[in-house]
Amino acid sequence: MAGERESSKMKIVVAIKQVPDRDTPVHIAADSKWIDEGDLQWAMNEPDAYALEEALLLKESAGAGEVIVVSAGPERVGSTIREALAKGADRAIQIVCDDLNSRDALGVARLLAAAIKPENPDLVLTGLQSEDVGLGQTGVIVAELLGLPHATMILHVEKTGAGLKVKRELEEGWFQSIELPTPAVLTMQSGGNKLRYATLMGIKRAKTKEMRTLNAAELGADAAPAVVLEQISAPKKQKSTQILPGSAKEAAAALVEKLKTEARVL
Amino acid sequence: MFAALAAASLFGFWRRFGPILGKILQSKKDPGFHLFPIGRRVRDFVWEVIFQAKVIRERPLAGVAHALVFWAFCAFALVTLNHCATIFGLGFLDPAGPAGRFYFDFAAFFAAACAVGILALFVRRFVAQPKWLGELSWGSGLIAMLIFALMVTYLAAFFVPATSDAARPLWWAHTLTLLVFLPLIPHTKHLHLVLSPFTVFLSRDGFAQIPPLVGDEDFGLVAGKDLTQLVSLQAYSCVECGRCMEHCPANNTGKLLNPKEIVLGLRGYLNEYGPHSEEPLLGKYNAQEAAFECTTCGACEFQCPVGIEHVPIIVGLRRGAVNTGAWENDYGAKLFLALERGSNALGMGSAERDKFVEKNGLPIFDGTQEYCLWLGCMGAYDPRGREIVVTLVRVMRYLGASFGVLRKEKCTGDPVRRLGNDLLFQQLAESNLEALAQSETRKIISICPHCVRTIQEDWKAYGTPPEVEHHSEFLARHSGELSLVPGHGLTDREKSIPEGGSVSGHDRGTHPVSGSRAEIGPKPSGSLAPEGPAKERIVFHDPCYLGRYRGVYDEPRRVAALAGELIEAPRSHERSFCCGAGGGLVFLGEEKGERVSHVRAEELAATGASVVGTACPFCNTMFRDAFAAKGEAAPELMDIAQLAARGLPE
Repeated sequence: MAGERESSKMKIVVAIKQVPDRDTPVHIAADSKWIDEGDLQWAMNEPDAYALEEALLLKESAGAGEVIVVSAGPERVGSTIREALAKGADRAIQIVCDDLNSRDALGVARLLAAAIKPENPDLVLTGLQSEDVGLGQTGVIVAELLGLPHATMILHVEKTGAGLKVKRELEEGWFQSIELPTPAVLTMQSGGNKLRYATLMGIKRAKTKEMRTLNAAELGADAAPAVVLEQISAPKKQKSTQILPGSAKEAAAALVEKLKTEARVL
Repeated sequence: MFAALAAASLFGFWRRFGPILGKILQSKKDPGFHLFPIGRRVRDFVWEVIFQAKVIRERPLAGVAHALVFWAFCAFALVTLNHCATIFGLGFLDPAGPAGRFYFDFAAFFAAACAVGILALFVRRFVAQPKWLGELSWGSGLIAMLIFALMVTYLAAFFVPATSDAARPLWWAHTLTLLVFLPLIPHTKHLHLVLSPFTVFLSRDGFAQIPPLVGDEDFGLVAGKDLTQLVSLQAYSCVECGRCMEHCPANNTGKLLNPKEIVLGLRGYLNEYGPHSEEPLLGKYNAQEAAFECTTCGACEFQCPVGIEHVPIIVGLRRGAVNTGAWENDYGAKLFLALERGSNALGMGSAERDKFVEKNGLPIFDGTQEYCLWLGCMGAYDPRGREIVVTLVRVMRYLGASFGVLRKEKCTGDPVRRLGNDLLFQQLAESNLEALAQSETRKIISICPHCVRTIQEDWKAYGTPPEVEHHSEFLARHSGELSLVPGHGLTDREKSIPEGGSVSGHDRGTHPVSGSRAEIGPKPSGSLAPEGPAKERIVFHDPCYLGRYRGVYDEPRRVAALAGELIEAPRSHERSFCCGAGGGLVFLGEEKGERVSHVRAEELAATGASVVGTACPFCNTMFRDAFAAKGEAAPELMDIAQLAARGLPE
């Protein structure tokens, strides 16, 4: 039993992103290149929160191991890192960079991979996409840069003798069960577990945990972005209501016609 | 001979009492405890201990019997002291002198009263056997007999000449009874004789006050090391009278929680593990399940005659479980996560509040208006709560009171405060205090007693909250102006039935019966007043957080009385029975046993009232569901703001 536990012990890195809180109103900045960050409230990207939860559960069920969180961004990211430490991560690495928004997915993945590589983890977890730009690529590119196998949209991870058995979400309620060796990179889907709440004891303990900062420039991962964000805009608010006249039968016929020709959903 | 017996008796007393006193004194010091200002303490002591006012008021018959015994004990203190001193030739009361003569007669009067009192209590405990007293305790019987013997032997001595043969056995009977009584005190619940005067005197300032957490290792009541001197003192003071359980909504509806057992559980813990132990408090002696069944209604604490503060103890146990992450509850976690990320306990997007504010044209508070109207989660997001807010706004506009609402508002933290999540509570309190300071709010008005309490008392831990009042207080202040509204006090049905509101039995068939509230059948007979139009019969339900927590009982009644005739429920004012929502329980899903809200709703309906008046959006929603579940004739449910607005021009 002790041997089995020893073998399931893992060093897990969780990459998390701080994103605008879902409940906070977002306004586009004057230069139309990004949103106005002045008045925003920030939160942990939800799929990343599930990645962290999965990592903590793996560590708890093994009875040993280490969970390290990595996050890139300006100083404000510290509050989200502290939240992760409070929920149970053992230590943290913050990659300080003030220009995260102007980096493309490859650029961000380079930063993360450079910080993760020296840790030699058994497993890297991150959310399948971010709630702000939602590119869904960062985790996969990190795997490529680290030269590790990966799987996406994972709901559940189980440590087996030699590697991992994971439950992957497909479309229309189908799931796929796959096995892969460690080390590996997994991008996690939301909703596979129940998230834990932050506690006072967690926050107090977090104060004494290691939080290392790395400067983005020193990681030697800078490169000209392959994708440049030109402009962002809010979706146009449009509400056009048509009342179809006539009897129920006539209106239904007109509706079907419109669904076929205008909405093209039939 | 006497000296040896007295020493043995004293030894028997101390051998038990010494360690108890040690455990109390070795407990952690109470953070934030101040002896001064001492005036309140003296007042409480005189009123509750000397006058036995609380003991008598809450249980008049047993209370008076107890008071007779207590007063006799006080009178007897001097007699007993003299009795013992005389043995050593140090007697100070001269039975022949006028002072001594007077005092012995005075004591004899009390002795007779005491004998009657203790007999009454004996009969109550062993013949009437109210279930609150728990299982029959023979210790109590023995003590009662000893007290009775003490009094009878004292009185008998008056009829026996000092020179007669009977005098000496009588003297020994009295003396021996005394010496047996003394060591029994700390071995039984009669320990309260010694401790409860201190417990009452030292109790915390204010009702149901949750003490601050101090330092980096204080997470609430986790283990013995967290028990403070006050908590330990209270644990040993319990007299097991069961008033707390008699009034406890959880205990009365088949839950595990019994406030008496919580206190006795702590006593058992202290006896076994002591005040320095690391053994969890929620374990062998107290159950986590019970701690999380409390609605924090405070009925127990209000009733307790020996000054035990149950609410801080129960909330303390919850803090210990939540602050360390030991409490695992899906509903609780959902509530906490909703408030970690969002702004309200209902888990809605804050844009919903913006829409409500905009749609109803509520002005934004800019520092120039008199009142900052605090919407609260229920007022901003709950459909029924919103109706109450909109109606209050109508009344405020009619009265010409200026007000505005904050652009952004977060939950005051009431549910997480009572559930013991100090981290979240601190974040919410600090964020709100900052927003209020920026808006230069000086006076807050709210429809929710929970918001009012949390803002005024609980936020103090993190800053200086503005002045706050409940809308019942505001409306009562203006009840003079409101009473001039035509149609008030009368039920002019065409005019006063609010939109989508009630339809009485008389109108059935002509109007649709709306929503869940189906009021069927004729009005109670009392509703036909001789002057003509039917008068509403309104029963007002005291919300715990307005009544016991804030001491506001008359104001909402004055407001409710504007719309009809007030009647009282069997349990009202300080004895009001909880709706079941408090303490964060409204967010914790289905309860075990009978629903608290159903019990109370039935009690209110049974008064025959045509209207149940509420003053708390949580009570309102609980009763609405209860009446809906009942599905038969139910009274109309209205907030006092809605009662005040009856007959107001649209």
